[in-house]
Amino acid sequence: MTATARPGAHLAYREGSPLALEADYIVVGSGSGGSPAALVLARAGYSVALLEAGPWRDADDYPATMLGVMRDLFPNWGATVAVGNSILPIVQAQLVGGGTVINSAIMVRTPGDVVASWASDHGLGDVLNPGNMGPALDRIESELHVADSLEDTGAARFGGSNQRLLDGLRAGGLSAHPTRRNVRGCQGQSRCLQGCRLGAKQSSNIGWIPEVLSLGGTVLSCAPVQRVQIVDGRAVGVQGRFRHPQTRRAGARFIVRARRGVLLAASATGTAPLLQRSGVRSPALGRFWRAHPGAGIIGVYPDVIDMYEGVTQGTASIHHRGEHGLKLESLALPLELVAGRTSGGGKQLTARLGDIRHQAMWISAVRAEAVGTVRQGRLGGVRVAYEPTRRDLERLRLGSALLARTHFAQGASRVRPGVVGLPFEIGPDEVHLLEQAPLHNRAWTWVLSHLFGGAVLGADPNTSVVAPDLHVRGVRDLHVVDASALPTTLGVNPQHTIMAVAWIIADRLANDDRTRTKSASKRD
Amino acid sequence: MLTRTLAWVLAATFPSSGDLPGLDSLDVRPSLRQLQREAAPVFALGLYGSTGAFLLCPLLTVGWPLPAFLLPRRVLDRHAHAMAGHRFYLVRQAMLMIKTVGAALWGAHPAVRSQLGLAAYEPDPGTFRGDHVVPQTPRSAPQPAEIQP
Repeated sequence: MTATARPGAHLAYREGSPLALEADYIVVGSGSGGSPAALVLARAGYSVALLEAGPWRDADDYPATMLGVMRDLFPNWGATVAVGNSILPIVQAQLVGGGTVINSAIMVRTPGDVVASWASDHGLGDVLNPGNMGPALDRIESELHVADSLEDTGAARFGGSNQRLLDGLRAGGLSAHPTRRNVRGCQGQSRCLQGCRLGAKQSSNIGWIPEVLSLGGTVLSCAPVQRVQIVDGRAVGVQGRFRHPQTRRAGARFIVRARRGVLLAASATGTAPLLQRSGVRSPALGRFWRAHPGAGIIGVYPDVIDMYEGVTQGTASIHHRGEHGLKLESLALPLELVAGRTSGGGKQLTARLGDIRHQAMWISAVRAEAVGTVRQGRLGGVRVAYEPTRRDLERLRLGSALLARTHFAQGASRVRPGVVGLPFEIGPDEVHLLEQAPLHNRAWTWVLSHLFGGAVLGADPNTSVVAPDLHVRGVRDLHVVDASALPTTLGVNPQHTIMAVAWIIADRLANDDRTRTKSASKRD
Repeated sequence: MLTRTLAWVLAATFPSSGDLPGLDSLDVRPSLRQLQREAAPVFALGLYGSTGAFLLCPLLTVGWPLPAFLLPRRVLDRHAHAMAGHRFYLVRQAMLMIKTVGAALWGAHPAVRSQLGLAAYEPDPGTFRGDHVVPQTPRSAPQPAEIQP
């Protein structure tokens, strides 16, 4: 039996008889790609079914502790990793709103050189260009209240760690700035990772997705999609089975039929495996997977810093983006994560955390040249193969040394590099040790948070899964609207770009559909 | 038995030091039991494997051919520290897994946070939204086509 969902319905985990729905468009994934795509289509008057593998959690549902974050917000308790010659944890969220719920709300406009390279190297000039990217970025900025974090939060709540990095980089002759973020009335509680309980962060689950519902859309949560149904070379729907977010118990099956198209935004670790499970074949599928790996360095100051009082990530610098592919940022990591990352064990470890209020963590993220793969695993999970190159390590080392010098210039008495093979702490005259740190991935505590590729958009069928006409090659009405489609890294935080690309693709689909409908009407 | 073993390994990793309470003096077994009940299988597998490695590795770390639970207190502390910086990557990774869980329990404990001068956490609600229907509103938002140049 097929039924049209009641307009505006959110359907959560359920057991019992299968659920069958129909909509004009299906959007799989509700993060920074899926939510704007669903919104654009809903505003254009189409019925939209938005499916999310995780549950819908409101601000009152957000956890406070890291154990709660792992359980409630991360897929597989945060056990998703990339494996190469080391194991790199991947930070992702699985709930309605996806990464927009747990990220630091940083919004950076797509650099012009990136858009230019998409046109020149990937044949995307007709799809994504300054003429449509600019207005889309503007529109998103306006809708999500993007503002300078120092101005939004105020100097008193900006945070000592953020201010010291800002002052330190500028004093060192580097350009640095308060981050621009999609927040409204941030109180500087440094709890972006846990989800903003104050509702200051304008994540998709509090703005865009409720609007999709109010426009008659349907949202299915706790609804991981198993496969896209492809009939005669056309995507006609998706199917899966509800899964309880706590017990992981399988619930009712669901089938959603798409009258006009299926848009995939299941994340850079989810979209390509979903296409593989659905029988899509392409030499580029699962390939060209990229990231911005990063690692932190801790400065210990004689005075109290209290990095937990302030904006989670208030300061950034892309001064070295062009030459070295580096992005430098402050980051207030919860005590639990600092404790897990601090080297040592036993009494020494506990003792090393006694000065947490004097610590400030800053990170270097690398616009890595490494390219990996993402595949469907045999046991149901995904396999990500990825290995930062020696050049990437050199860049990380350079960034870490630069941050160490900045810490000392700002008054830190010691710096904790967190690199195997180096002393636990170094003093101001020992930064050269960091500059000579081992160039091996196993020595560094990399974390992957900005992910790209796996189902990229491009003109060459050997290197892209999605053609410039926006359809997955060989499958009509199947589209990719998340970071999986991006053919390169950016060297800046990707949220804004992902939203803009999804917006443009969905808008074009809506316009193409209208044009087709009008032509058909005229013929009739 | 498993909960006790896990609690013991975590306590050896985050023991009390000076005024700072460790997992040896804090009761985290209810949280551990909840973790065991709810953890994703791949996460639990990693944790149990790492716990096993902690118990069996003293020969590699401190040169004692004994399981960790038979080590004298001081040697056990050396073992925990040595595992974290061991030259074998997988040994370090096993310890990282234990530290991740230990840190999550230790760093969230009110006694630890109070001693460090950090605000206590509220409880994790563990809740999520069920079915609901949003009333339809007249479409007032500008159409997306307007962004086209």
